Amino acid sequence: MDTKELLKRVRQIEINIRGVVNEVFAGEYHSVFKGRGMEFAEVREYQHGDDVRNIDWNVSARMNRPFVKVFDEERELTVMLLFDCSASEVFGSRGQVKRDVATEIAALMASSAIKNNDKVGLIIFSDKIEKFVPPRKGRQHVLRVIRELIYMLDDDNVQRHTNTDIAVALEYLNQIVKRRATVFLISDFMADGFEKDLQIANKRHDLVGIRIVDPLEEKLPAVGLIELEDLETGEVMLLDTSQQAIRKSISDNASGEKLKLERFFKSIGMDFIDIYTHESYVRPLTKFFRMRAKRFH
Amino acid sequence: MFRFANPEYLFLLIIIPLIAVYYLRRQRRLSGHVKFSTLRHLKKVPRTLKQTLRRYLFLLRLGVLALLILGLARPQSGSKQEEIITEGIDIVLALDVSSSMLAEDFRPENRLGASKEVAKEFVEGRTNDPIGMVVFAGEAFSQCPLTLDYGVLMQIMDQTDIAPSEWDGTAIGNGLATAVARLKDSKAKSKVVILLTDGENNAGEVDPVTAAQVAQTFDIRVYTIGVGSRGTAPIPRVDPLFGKRYVQVPVSIDEDLLKRIAAITEGQYFRATNTEKLREIYAQIDELEKTKIEVKEFTKYSELFINYAGAALLLLLLEVLLMNTYLRKLP
Repeated sequence: MDTKELLKRVRQIEINIRGVVNEVFAGEYHSVFKGRGMEFAEVREYQHGDDVRNIDWNVSARMNRPFVKVFDEERELTVMLLFDCSASEVFGSRGQVKRDVATEIAALMASSAIKNNDKVGLIIFSDKIEKFVPPRKGRQHVLRVIRELIYMLDDDNVQRHTNTDIAVALEYLNQIVKRRATVFLISDFMADGFEKDLQIANKRHDLVGIRIVDPLEEKLPAVGLIELEDLETGEVMLLDTSQQAIRKSISDNASGEKLKLERFFKSIGMDFIDIYTHESYVRPLTKFFRMRAKRFH
Repeated sequence: MFRFANPEYLFLLIIIPLIAVYYLRRQRRLSGHVKFSTLRHLKKVPRTLKQTLRRYLFLLRLGVLALLILGLARPQSGSKQEEIITEGIDIVLALDVSSSMLAEDFRPENRLGASKEVAKEFVEGRTNDPIGMVVFAGEAFSQCPLTLDYGVLMQIMDQTDIAPSEWDGTAIGNGLATAVARLKDSKAKSKVVILLTDGENNAGEVDPVTAAQVAQTFDIRVYTIGVGSRGTAPIPRVDPLFGKRYVQVPVSIDEDLLKRIAAITEGQYFRATNTEKLREIYAQIDELEKTKIEVKEFTKYSELFINYAGAALLLLLLEVLLMNTYLRKLP
């Protein structure tokens, strides 16, 4: 992928998410991911309609005119995007692969964060840390984040058959980001042994799991014999989908695993969103924000 | 018997296990597959029969290959066949049908009946020898030309009866000459006339000795048989007044003539006084004229490759059919 094409795709994603960032998420993102609290900024002369509770009596007495305290919400929030680029993400049955959806969501989160004057950092991982972009502010930076995402995920730059190791990513995150941050973990969670690290990370940070799912992963259609290749391990197996019982067993296994994961997330008090590749991601995200907003107010 | 005409091609069979190994090793790369994010929960489902069958479908292809190689090696099935290459002896039976043959000194029936019966036995004992038949009384007729169809010959023999009275007599010369005429153009190595009579030459235009000399010229051997008991023999006569009567008639065989004929043609003369004796004589002639049968044995092979090629085609069709219907696989 040359630079021109890369920029084109960055631009494309920016356009795709702009509407969502500016309109749909504008207020919601802000209110859901709050900073530490209110920080005193200045005092100014009382104006009609100001809350009398905010009148600074000392200053008012000294100046013999009413003054009110003005607070700023402390933003200085750090948003970390943990992005899973393992091979299993290169799968999709409805037009776009999971990785594309994930990229767009990551870009969306980054843009929303920047818009709220937050710092955005990026960790791309598979079974190891592939790329780390330290958290910074600014529009230029968000474009860089998007560019890294797209560049990293270009077929030539991703090794084939890379596994997923969420634990590695979480450990790295815990080392790098000492202060409390909002962390979006964008993955398909097709991995094992990350439970403990997730628990620790969730305690230290505000962790949100975004699970990207393709409908085919949960339910296979009856297509007779099908030869499947595991994207991560390269393993090949022949599957007979012609029998109802087999298909049911597959979907049962999938939903069982999903349920197990959800139960675990709930048990550690972690927020999570399921995003399906065949649906718009706006609706589940909005729903999620509303749900969080309710919890905060 | 089964064999391969070009067994060297069978060495090609070695490639089949090689292909099998290659296929099993490279199966993954040889066929396309649908990429799937993870097989973790798919691996837990049980295997189905279809799955197993599909795995081993390539064996059919190998079978096709094996059959084609076998076909290439030219399988043949041989059947042993015998061919008798020796030509048989041409035999003409010259039978006296004069009225004296009605004499009942031979059992059963009479001289003619006994002669016919023994002659038939003789014919049955021969194989591959063309046999013809000439009858003579006052005149001589070819009853049956030389033939290998013994069935027809015996049928004709059965129908042979005593000559009508206007042709009565015993024309040995004519009979022999007619028999010789049957044999003269024959290409057979050995030609034989068996002349059976019970009387003296008393009719016909051909002198028996002359006929014998002619026979000798054509290398024809003549075995002469005189039939008739010693002394007299009862001959039935139909009397308009008293019905059937037996008349004792003295047996008069011109033995000298018959011996001479035999001598000229390097044959032999026999005298039969009863049916048993006659049977022995025929057996003796049978022995004397044994055809030396030369049998050439050879194996005839028929090509079987078409069966193998056909089976290969069927298997191939089956494989293609299964692959595209019941065992169709994505991608």
